Amino acid sequence: MIQRILALIQKEFSQAWRDRTTMGIMLTIPLMQLIIFGYAINTNVTHIPTVVADQSLDTASRSYLDAMVNSGYFDITATAPDQNGVIQNIDAGQARVGIVIPPDFEKDVLRGDAQVLVLVDGSDLFTSQSANAYATIIGQAHSIQIVYDVIAQAGAQASGSALPTLNALIHVLYNPDMSTLWFIIPGMAAMLLQTQALALTAAAVVREREMGTIEQILVTPIRPFELMIGKIVPYVIIAMLNMLTVIAIGVFWFHVPFQGSFWLFFGLSSLYVLSGLGLGLLISSVSQNQRQAQQLMMLFMMVSLLLGGFIFPRYTMPAAVRIIGNLFPITYFIPIARGIITKGVGFSVLSGQVADLVIYIVVVMFLATITFRNRLD
Amino acid sequence: MLFFALPLIELFLFAYAVSLTVTHLPTAIVDQSLDARSRDFIQALANSGNFDITLVLQNEQQVRQAMDAGTVKVGLIIPPNFEKQVLAGNGNVLILLDGSDSFSVQSGYNAALSITQKYSLNLTTEKIQSGGGAVILNALTGQLPITTTTRVLYNPDIADLIFILPGLIALIMQIIIVTNSAMAIVREREAGTLEQLLATPARPAEMVLAKLIPGMLVAILDMAMILAIGVFWFKVPFQGNILLLAGLSILFIISGMGLGLVISAVARNQRQAQQLTAVIQLLAMLLTGFLYPRTTMPLWTQIIGNLIPMTYFVRIIRGIMTKGVGLTFMWTDSLTLFIYAVIVLAIAAAISKKRLD
Repeated sequence: MIQRILALIQKEFSQAWRDRTTMGIMLTIPLMQLIIFGYAINTNVTHIPTVVADQSLDTASRSYLDAMVNSGYFDITATAPDQNGVIQNIDAGQARVGIVIPPDFEKDVLRGDAQVLVLVDGSDLFTSQSANAYATIIGQAHSIQIVYDVIAQAGAQASGSALPTLNALIHVLYNPDMSTLWFIIPGMAAMLLQTQALALTAAAVVREREMGTIEQILVTPIRPFELMIGKIVPYVIIAMLNMLTVIAIGVFWFHVPFQGSFWLFFGLSSLYVLSGLGLGLLISSVSQNQRQAQQLMMLFMMVSLLLGGFIFPRYTMPAAVRIIGNLFPITYFIPIARGIITKGVGFSVLSGQVADLVIYIVVVMFLATITFRNRLD
Repeated sequence: MLFFALPLIELFLFAYAVSLTVTHLPTAIVDQSLDARSRDFIQALANSGNFDITLVLQNEQQVRQAMDAGTVKVGLIIPPNFEKQVLAGNGNVLILLDGSDSFSVQSGYNAALSITQKYSLNLTTEKIQSGGGAVILNALTGQLPITTTTRVLYNPDIADLIFILPGLIALIMQIIIVTNSAMAIVREREAGTLEQLLATPARPAEMVLAKLIPGMLVAILDMAMILAIGVFWFKVPFQGNILLLAGLSILFIISGMGLGLVISAVARNQRQAQQLTAVIQLLAMLLTGFLYPRTTMPLWTQIIGNLIPMTYFVRIIRGIMTKGVGLTFMWTDSLTLFIYAVIVLAIAAAISKKRLD
């Protein structure tokens, strides 16, 4: 039996080797993703191009604008005479944020009722979120500083006890610089393994069936069970190698820390690959031809990308949608990958998630074997 | 079939499932003071709507464990003697955020900072007013000297769908057009029927056009469908001129077809064409401004993004749908798209001619 399986594995490997472009692209796509996330994408937007209409041009307005610029979130790239000019600038897409300071700003500040209008381009989500939040916070902080200055000048402190204050110490655990890449790497490893496990198995099984060679193989002494193992093992190895490449580049080139145990991660990844292979087999048993299998795969990939927790947090989704997400193995593996790589937790913390993954594998393998057998009869 | 199902599924998932703005972060609190002041501060945090208190714990250690296990995303720790320390001018709270979840951490960070700042200022003004300092600071009525009013243009509630829908239309159209035209010629070539077709009186240009029209129709139908559902069902406002959008969409479709034809000319077989299309799709998702902002990207990724027609069309469709601006504001993008279409079609023609000779 071992011999037969080994022979099958050898056959799959030589078939895969012949199709080197596919292998090349399979590896290129994740690498491209890694490089783009490493160098290009940042959801915490800084240096937002800003247009300013300063109708006061006095010390107070200048110090307010300085506070905005010094924060690093806003870069003044243009000036306009009034609010309409600012809106035109944003309409044209030259600036994303507009700051309008009305006349007599200094006088109003001293009287305590100065107004600043910040206009944010709402057609760009991340920019508008950052701009909205930081304009408020920076304006508030600047304003509070003015209050304290006034109080200090007035000598209120001399009048007796100190003023009450409250400081927030905010610690961001696991990822202190809030780097997008640190957050993306574990999810990418999970996505990569699922994509490749799904795509490679489904392609392998369906191709064989389309060419009519599956019957040829089945008339040999090879049993369906052996055939499955023989088909699966080479792709497990290829998928794992790709995943390790991505993690190695992340850790050694981009310096993303790997906090937990590598071997625990490696072991659980192999388990996870099994679940992807099971789903791949199920897809290929269900579909009639390569094209159908490919379309189903595209659908699965897209849905799991959105619902698996890779980018968008799952706890904000409605319960019905969360259940759909549970149909994909990636949903179970993302907390495991983040737990080990980013948080550095051990098996005891993850045992619940691992149990879910094991149950998923058993169920999906069972369904795949049944449909595979039915199709052959 | 999938060409119609996929856009719908994507639209409904983005509409109902995916949320880019995170509120109601699951939060654990540790209140080691249990006095009036600490309760008041916790109340202020909870009332903001950004934090849902789901767990009450005893110490920081337990908060870290809960965060390790992923049950909470935020931890708030109030040290003992909170009230006394606040009044003495050195009150501190510790806020822990789960950095492994990028959306949660950004929302949590900003909200926590803003709420504490405001709370602290309220304490100060309260104290000054009650202590008779009001005489000196008659202007201070518990209100900040500068009020920053932010107004979000085009999308006042920062609704995800208003932002997503135009980009989604661009993405789906591009996927359909590029896939279709990339497959068109390569399939014939693989099946060996390309030579047969060339032997007929049909000229190459006529042949290509005939092959491209079905894909074009599917793309237009998809666009109309998503647009109609988005506007009538999800009430996404359509601010601009629909005829202008229709006209520029055709320009976009032609440039997408050009790109597909280049792929078709370069690829040796269907599978290679498919893989090249997948690469372009990935780049389109990440670099064209569909989801992630282009302003923060380094120049070289912006240039790569400029090689994909969707980059120009995302700006155009957002301009028309969301901003309601006219051609005067986007003639550069429209002109670029036109030049792009001409260049890419010329390249496709040149390569195919070479391969046929």
